[in-house]
Amino acid sequence: MTLQLAFFYVYALVALAGAIGLVTARQLVHAVMCFFATLLAVAGLFLLLGSEFLAAMQLFVYGGAMTVLVLFALMFTGAAPEGGRATRGAVRWLALGVTAAFFGLLTVAFATAGWRISPAQPMDVAAIATILFSRLVVPFEIAGLALTIALIGTIVLAREDDVLEAVEPVEEAGGEA
Amino acid sequence: MITLNHYLVLAAALFCIGLFGVLTSKNALRVVISVELILNAVNINLAAFSVFVAPRQAIGLNFVVFFMVVAAAEFGLALAIIIALHRTEDIGAIDAIRKLKG
Repeated sequence: MTLQLAFFYVYALVALAGAIGLVTARQLVHAVMCFFATLLAVAGLFLLLGSEFLAAMQLFVYGGAMTVLVLFALMFTGAAPEGGRATRGAVRWLALGVTAAFFGLLTVAFATAGWRISPAQPMDVAAIATILFSRLVVPFEIAGLALTIALIGTIVLAREDDVLEAVEPVEEAGGEA
Repeated sequence: MITLNHYLVLAAALFCIGLFGVLTSKNALRVVISVELILNAVNINLAAFSVFVAPRQAIGLNFVVFFMVVAAAEFGLALAIIIALHRTEDIGAIDAIRKLKG
């Protein structure tokens, strides 16, 4: 139990440090690396919650794919000259005040809320899969459809403009025929 | 002993840091990453509630799976928009995007 709590604090510290690094680092590459640390720590938290499947998914989807993707976009857009923090000081202090007040509000809400807490019970991947493929099978299919549509939209958005111009007359001719 | 409030307070802190990043960042890429941080905080909340409050059903854990799908789709689209903006307008700062302004 105590060992678990120690691990929780380690993960929490890494996650918070990474998040703060994300919003304060001057270089955008450093910010992405800090975010990567946060993602790994969150994967550790999922492990502590007893869900190995979610931890693995966190590592694959966020830690692997998203970090590589954002680094790719970063390199592609030329390391972004506006990478440094450029917002005015007053705006930043206002935002800091608002978010700190919101955090205080949330903490008070958690302290006063009476959740009916049952003893934590780890759920293996079979427990997730049983519900995912029985009660939630329609949302599962819709999620796959949404992912496909988003992929197609990404390709359409990110491709070269001259490719678009080269394709369009063909599409018009097809429409008339 | 880790309690539910441990996870909730940590997720709230991550959420608020992400919110701060969204509010103050000028770089479009950093805004998108901050949004991802917010989604991650929500994921922690969902998983913690699922394990501590309703341990018989794994509904909350399934929500995390769906959140990851939606986050991946949103992330890909956002990056595509950023790359398209960079290609057509050479824009990296979000307050320089004025094309949709009437």
